[in-house]
Amino acid sequence: MTPALVTTVRERNESAWLLPNDGSRTNHRLRADMRRFADSDMVDLVVVGCGAGGSTMLQRLARRGWRVAGLDAGPFWDPDTDWVSDEAGSHHLYWTEPRVISGSDPVPLGSNNSGRGVGGSMVHYAGYTPRFHPSDFATWTNDGVGADWPLRYADLRPYYEQIEQELPVAGDDWPWGDPHSYPQRPHPVGGNGEIFLRGAYASGITAKVGPVAIANGRFGNRPHCIYRGFCLQGCKVNAKASPLITHIPDALAHGAEVRANAMVTGIGFDERTGRATGVHYIMHGTPRFQRAAAVAVAGYSIETPRLLLNSASRRFPDGMCNDFDQVGRYLMVQGAPQTAGRFDAEVRMYKSPPPEVSSEQFYETDPAKPYKRGFSIQTVSPLPITWAEHVAAQGHWGTGLRQYMSDYVHWSCLGALCEFLAQPDNRVTLAGEKDRYGLPVANFAYSQCDNDKRLIRAAQGVMEQILHAAGADEVITIDRYAHLVGGARMAADERHGVVDRNCRSFAVPNLYITDGSVLPTQGSANPALTIMANAARVADQLTGSSR
Amino acid sequence: MLDQAGSWDAVTAGVVLSRIGRLPGIRFFTPAEEATATALCDRLLGQDSEPKVAVVPQIDARLAERQTDGWHYADMPEDGQAWRSSLRFLDEDSQDACARDFAQAPAEDQRAILQAVQDLGSKDWHGLNAAHVWSLWTRYACTAFYAHPSAWNEIGFPGPAYPRGYKNAGVDSREPYEVADAYPADDPVRRKEN
Repeated sequence: MTPALVTTVRERNESAWLLPNDGSRTNHRLRADMRRFADSDMVDLVVVGCGAGGSTMLQRLARRGWRVAGLDAGPFWDPDTDWVSDEAGSHHLYWTEPRVISGSDPVPLGSNNSGRGVGGSMVHYAGYTPRFHPSDFATWTNDGVGADWPLRYADLRPYYEQIEQELPVAGDDWPWGDPHSYPQRPHPVGGNGEIFLRGAYASGITAKVGPVAIANGRFGNRPHCIYRGFCLQGCKVNAKASPLITHIPDALAHGAEVRANAMVTGIGFDERTGRATGVHYIMHGTPRFQRAAAVAVAGYSIETPRLLLNSASRRFPDGMCNDFDQVGRYLMVQGAPQTAGRFDAEVRMYKSPPPEVSSEQFYETDPAKPYKRGFSIQTVSPLPITWAEHVAAQGHWGTGLRQYMSDYVHWSCLGALCEFLAQPDNRVTLAGEKDRYGLPVANFAYSQCDNDKRLIRAAQGVMEQILHAAGADEVITIDRYAHLVGGARMAADERHGVVDRNCRSFAVPNLYITDGSVLPTQGSANPALTIMANAARVADQLTGSSR
Repeated sequence: MLDQAGSWDAVTAGVVLSRIGRLPGIRFFTPAEEATATALCDRLLGQDSEPKVAVVPQIDARLAERQTDGWHYADMPEDGQAWRSSLRFLDEDSQDACARDFAQAPAEDQRAILQAVQDLGSKDWHGLNAAHVWSLWTRYACTAFYAHPSAWNEIGFPGPAYPRGYKNAGVDSREPYEVADAYPADDPVRRKEN
């Protein structure tokens, strides 16, 4: 980044400079001095959930002088004391409240796709931050599948650029979608990235380093990555971006409150005015109510619909904003088959961030193929426990499992993200079961369509080709899923979605949804960057600032 | 591995070393369930002789403290109940096969009983989806086993890496404290083919 660009970023978002530069990772003074609203204060906006969508809203609105409070069900993390360089010891980073999964292809939740605490899932995401392609915004028009967004790529592009600078993102010049460059140069690659690049080159596939939201070089007071490989366990270095360090510090400095350990249980509603009045929440066992002039829900694709469904009233007997049975529907995951190859050389894939190299060559619809849309391929580099899951999925157990596992240093591992299509019956409903607050838990049903299944096998074929071309003698694949989007999607009208193009709900004029659940399609891109960019766009719309 | 503990941050060292020292007492499983679970995990993890990694106390602690993954399949009870039921069913299968509880059965018979469950795929096993039961067992057993430093030693994983990080990434590159594979030619794939 040029010094001039760094200055521009700092003027927009000073978070990286508000962190300590003494080797510790948390600005305790900033948190101790944080503004604190009373429940009876009428804040301008209360935000439910401080992950990618919620934190970006808080930072943008606090900057414009709004009185904003963010409530999060989990802790206000301190990377020094709360996070460890250890897989099993990181279980507390995941949303592990009870949930039921069903359908013909049920999707396991918890560790893989559900975050908890301030920073949300970006605390434990790998760090890949690709943009969506322009085609993602019109898949119905282009291909007759999925849905058209009520906005276009061009509406998001300026916000992609802003957020890429604020994270910041490192990577090669990007040839796919809307070609663009990244603010930071690509990171050096480790063994797994080397194998991917070698195999891709040998099989005529273009692969690029990045795009990864990990500081390559010092950024503000955030240090350089040390390549320790534990990105999915929370970055103890402050090198990998999450809103905890990229947006929350600046939000606090501008008067936002972050209220952690506050589990929102319902949205307050005035039957007379038809407006939201604030949020009911439980903190340290005590039920409370925060008054607010407007509410933004950013609890992600399972908890956002669940909260709406649990917020029933006389006006909304089937759940808030659910007049047309749209809440919870069109929820998507990406098919994420993971293919590993065994090499005589030692790859030691744990020695580098799991996100290194990716390819979007197969992202778009190929008319020659028997499926619509496509997939991307990325390095994944599982640590021992997740690698054991991969090996056990082949059916190995007992001494066979141990022998396979003892070869860990010889394996290289790639993962695909397949664009599963939005379907109405892939959705969240309320289960009969209740959580410890007495609220019905979410039942998340998922079934794949034929296009989904074809994409998975096609992606597996390409990953096998790359690994063989790099010299692998055996390849093994595990079928899994990644990411969540949809569940309260934006649409042109209330019969096709829950919110409009500015993420305001059709049914309640002062209720917004600003997380991944508003996305109508998902492409084969990791969703974090798009969720943040969209939240920044919504914040601009709310405050009437033109860019 | 453990001789590197001095280079780990204190919080991580606390978490990892707690798996080496005194383990918490059994709180969730009954003695009978503990016996069955121990035999089950020993077979699943190929721990046929000492020294063994004690995985059942770790599984018991997770279930007692409700440190589950949260979700459960609609056709399965929550994890704690799923463990209790499936352990009882293993005893029933063992009684049918050799008139003894699972933990008392010879290791060969235990393996045969488990193989039969795995071979069911997603078919019914005592009213449960066998694949979902298999996934429950292997998930908990592998998480406990591959969280242990002696398992990391076995697979060549150097463990925690903060604040040290790595300097020599790349194919066939090692840090000074990393050890080359002791049996580089021992490839389970080729062994299978021969």
